[in-house]
Amino acid sequence: MNNNWLRTHTFHYSKFKDLNKLVEEKQRKGLTISLCLPTLNEERTIAKEILIMKSELMARYPLLDEIVVIDSGSTDNTLEVASAYGADVYLADDILPDLEKHKGKGENLWKALYITKGDIIVYLDADIKNIHHRFVYALVGPLIMDDNIKFAKAFYDRPIAIGKSKIRPTGGGRVTELVVRPLFALFFPELTQIIQPLSGEYAGHREIFEKIPFPIGYGVETSMILDIFEKWGLEVMAQVDLDRRIHRNQDTKALGKMAFVILKTFLDRIEKLGLIELNKDLFYEMIQYNLIRDEYKPDTYNIKGVERPPMIEIPAYREKIEAAPSEQEMKGPSHIAEPQTDRSV
Amino acid sequence: MNDYLNKLPAFVETIESMKEIIITNVVLIGQINAPTFKEKRRTTVLMERMAEFQVDECTTDGYRNPIGIIRGTSENKPPIFVVAHIDTPLHKGMNSVLNYRVSVDSIKGPGILDNSLGVGVLTSLPEIFRQLELRFESDIVLAGVIQSIGKGNLRGIRHLVKTWPTPIRGAVCIEGVDIGRLNYYTEGMRRCEIKCNIASEDDINVQFRPNPILILNDVINQVLRLPLPQRPRTRIVFGKISGGVNYGKIPEETRLGFEIRSDADRMVKSVYNDIKDIVDGISQEHHVDLNMSTISNLSAARLKFNHPLVKSAGAVMKTLGLKPVSDSSESELSIFLSRKIPAVTLGITRGKNRGTDEASMKIDPMFKGIAQIIGVLMAIDSGICDE
Repeated sequence: MNNNWLRTHTFHYSKFKDLNKLVEEKQRKGLTISLCLPTLNEERTIAKEILIMKSELMARYPLLDEIVVIDSGSTDNTLEVASAYGADVYLADDILPDLEKHKGKGENLWKALYITKGDIIVYLDADIKNIHHRFVYALVGPLIMDDNIKFAKAFYDRPIAIGKSKIRPTGGGRVTELVVRPLFALFFPELTQIIQPLSGEYAGHREIFEKIPFPIGYGVETSMILDIFEKWGLEVMAQVDLDRRIHRNQDTKALGKMAFVILKTFLDRIEKLGLIELNKDLFYEMIQYNLIRDEYKPDTYNIKGVERPPMIEIPAYREKIEAAPSEQEMKGPSHIAEPQTDRSV
Repeated sequence: MNDYLNKLPAFVETIESMKEIIITNVVLIGQINAPTFKEKRRTTVLMERMAEFQVDECTTDGYRNPIGIIRGTSENKPPIFVVAHIDTPLHKGMNSVLNYRVSVDSIKGPGILDNSLGVGVLTSLPEIFRQLELRFESDIVLAGVIQSIGKGNLRGIRHLVKTWPTPIRGAVCIEGVDIGRLNYYTEGMRRCEIKCNIASEDDINVQFRPNPILILNDVINQVLRLPLPQRPRTRIVFGKISGGVNYGKIPEETRLGFEIRSDADRMVKSVYNDIKDIVDGISQEHHVDLNMSTISNLSAARLKFNHPLVKSAGAVMKTLGLKPVSDSSESELSIFLSRKIPAVTLGITRGKNRGTDEASMKIDPMFKGIAQIIGVLMAIDSGICDE
C-alpha cells in the first residue's frame, strides 16, 4: 500500500505556531472560522475551553470569529457556565425545531452547521482537561495554508486520566485499534494512515461538511471519514499531531457500546457502497450483561442508527445561506473539486 | 505624588475586562505540576508565555529562575522586582497534569492558591501594563522563583537576589491568598525535623522494641516544658507528624516537623539548642536512633510600620476598599528584607482549602488584588523607597 499521504499530509502542531501568519492568511483569503463545542453535562471543563480560546484566538489573535456551544440537554451548569464566559449557547432541540428531535453528538455537530456562520468549522469535544489553543490553531492551520486541504483531523499521544492526577501513555484508543483500524485495513487500507480516526477534534470547510450526512451518535467520526474519502479522496484530508490530550477514561462497557455503533455505521456505509451484501437487516440493540445478586441481567442499548441528511438538502439551511451575503462571490471560485460520484474503492 | 491612587478604581475595571487572558495564564501554567526541585516544565511554559506577551527580555538566571524584564524609561533607576514562587507543594508525580475546574465565580484545583494564581498573574502583568498604558521609570523584573517551599528553602530567590548585578529599588512578592494581607516583616525561623528510627523486626537482638510514636510524644512533652519569652516573642509550632502503617504494629520510623520562630534570631538559636539537648538526651536514655535536622532557616527582618512602602501599600489597599492585615511572612519577602531591600508580600484573592486537592479561589476579588499590586509598583516607581 502506498503510504505517501501519511508523509505529506501529517503535520505537527508546531508548524502552525505562528499565529500572526495564520491570521494574516485567513484575512487575506477572507475566511471566517467558527468553533463548535458539542456538550452534555460538561460543566467541569467547558469554561476552560471557552475562555482559553477566547483569550488566545479571539482577544489576542483574531483567528476565531465565533464560539458556539450546542447542548443535548445538560442537567448540570454547562449552559450557565458557557454563557457566562461568552459562548453562544444553543439547545440542539431548539435548532430547526420542525424536524424530528434526536439526541447525540452527531446531531449537535450537524445542527451546528445551521447555526454557525464560518467558512471553516472546528469541532472540539468539550471534555478536554488539558485544553490549549493549539487544539484549534493547529487544526485550522492546514486548511488556511493549503487550499487543497479541506478537512483536518487531530491525533495525539493519548494519556488517559485514571486517577485524580495519574496518567499513562497509550497508543490509539481501544476502539480504534480493535474495531476501526481492522475494518479500514480490510476495506479501505489507505485509511489506516489516519492515526486516530475516532478523535473528536477536527476542522473542515463548510462546503465539505454540508454535503455529507451525519449519524446522530458515536458513528459520526467514522462516517465522516468514509464519506469524505468516498466523495473527494484522501488528498483533501490532513492529520495534525496535537501532542497530548487528557480526557475521561471510559470503561469497557461504554467502549463496547461505542464499538457497536461504529460497526453498525461502517456496515451500513459499505453496504451502500456495494462492498458487501447483507441478507438480512441488522439488529439495533447492543446487549450486555450485569451480574446482579448471582443473576445475569441484560443491559440493552438501543441504537437505530438515525442519520441526518447532508445539511445542504435542508430547505431552511439553503434559504439561510442564500439570504446571507455570498462569501463565495467575494472569495472567487472554490478550490474543491465536485464530489467524485463514481469513485471506486 | 499620589496621583496613582486616583487611577486605581478605573484600573480594576480594565483588569476585569482582561479576565479571559488572566485566567488562561493561571490555567495553562498552573495545570503543569511543579513539585519543588522539579519545576522545569512549568518554567519552560512560563518563559514561553512571557515571551508571547513580549517582555523586553526573557531569560533564566544561573539558577534557572525564569525572568522577564520590562524595560523602564529611566536608565538610572534600579529595577523593581515582582516575584512569585513557581513550585507547588502538591502532587509529586512528575508526569501528572493538574486539572483545574473553572466555574462562573471560582477556579478549583490543587495548587491553585499556592501558587498557580500568583504565577498566572505575574505572567499576565506585561499585557495588563499594556492595556492600562502604564510605563515605569524602573525596569520591572518579573521573576518566577524555583525551589522556594519546604526543603527548597528559598534557594531560587536567595540566588536571584544574591547574584543580581545592580541595586534593587523595591520588591513585591505575590501569593494567591489572602487579599488584604500586607506582610512587611518576617520572624527569625528555623524549620526542623526529628526522625526516630528503631531496628526492624528481623533484628534478633531487639527483645523489647521501643515505640517511636511514644518517643516522639516524650520529645513533644519535654519541648512543651521549655520556657519561652513573651519578649522577644518566641514560639514553637508543631506542624507535621507522620509514621506507622497499621493500627496494631509498632512503626519503625516516625517523623515530627516543627518550626521555631522568634522576633530575635538569638532566641531561635537558643531554643534550637535546648531542643537538640532534649533529643540527644532521649536518644541516649531509650537507645533509639533519634536525630534532629534543619530543613531551612531564616533571619528576622522587617520594615518599620511607618516605612513609606508600608504606608503606601496601606493607602493603596484603602483606596480599593481593602483592609490591610499584617502578620509575619516567612517567604521570598524574608530574603529581600534581610538584604535591606524594601519589600512587601500581597495576596491576590480569597480562597479556601489551600493545601488540598480541593483548593479553590474566588475570581471576582482577583481584579482588585491585581490592581493593588500595580498600585504598589507605581508607588515604588514614584520614589517612596529611594530615601
